Amino acid sequence: MNLMNADPPEAARVDDDDEAVLNPKVQESIGRSLKAHYDDLVNSPVPDRFLALLAQLEATEQRLRTEDGADERG
Amino acid sequence: MSAVDFKEGLIAEIPNLRAFAASLSGSMQLADDLVQDTLLKAWGNADKFQPGTSLRAWLFTILRNTYYSLYRKRGREVQDSEGTYADRLATHGNQESHLDLADFRKALAKLPEEQREVLIMVGATGLSYEETAEICGVAIGTIKSRVNRARAKLAELLSIRGVDDLGPDFRITAAVQRAGPETVGS
Repeated sequence: MNLMNADPPEAARVDDDDEAVLNPKVQESIGRSLKAHYDDLVNSPVPDRFLALLAQLEATEQRLRTEDGADERG
Repeated sequence: MSAVDFKEGLIAEIPNLRAFAASLSGSMQLADDLVQDTLLKAWGNADKFQPGTSLRAWLFTILRNTYYSLYRKRGREVQDSEGTYADRLATHGNQESHLDLADFRKALAKLPEEQREVLIMVGATGLSYEETAEICGVAIGTIKSRVNRARAKLAELLSIRGVDDLGPDFRITAAVQRAGPETVGS
C-alpha cells in the first residue's frame, strides 16, 4: 500500500542538496564517462615540445654547473 | 631525489597534466601552454618538492594555481572564438562512443569550475579526497559536497534518470506487477 505513496524522501532530491544520494547506477555511469573523457586525453600523443623543453632545462643547468666549476678553478 | 629522477617524474606526469589542463581550460592549445608553464615552474622550484610525497599532487597544485592566476580569462576567450575541444572531437573516430563522449564533455564544460576540477581529480586522476582538498586549499567536506553537486548536475544535464525518476517508474512497475503479468506489454 505504501508503494503508491513512496515519494522520494528529501535526501533523494538531487538539486542543491549536498547530501543528495544519486542512484548507484547513475553514479557508475558518470564515473565511467569521466574515466573515458580523462583517459582519452591522457592517451593522446604528447607533443615533442615538452621533452625538448626539459632537455633544454637540463642542459642549461649542467652548463651552469660546469661554468660554476670553471669559475671556482679560475 | 636526483635531478634525473625528478626529470623522469615530470615526463611521466605530462599526460596527466595535459588531461587535467584540458579539462580545466576546455582547450587543448591552452592546456599545452599551461603544461609548459607548469613544467618551467616545477623545474625552477624543484628544491621545494618533498621526496616521498605525491609528485602528481604537487604538479597539479602548480598547474591549478597557474590556471587561476593567468589562464582563466584566456580560456573563456578561446572557448568563445574556437569552441571547446569537445566540439571539435565530436566528429572524429568511432561514431557511437564518441557521440556519448562528446555529449558528456559538453555537459562537463557546463559545470562550475570548482565542481569540474574536483570531479576530475577525485573521479579520474587517482588523487585521493585528501590530496584534492590539499590541492584546492579547502576542507575534505567541501570537496565531497562539490563532487556530489557536480554528479547531480551532470545527471541533470545528461538527463540520466536519477532517484527522482526512479520513484514514478517504480510505482508504475509495482502497479503493473499487481495487475498481473499479462498487462506488462510495454
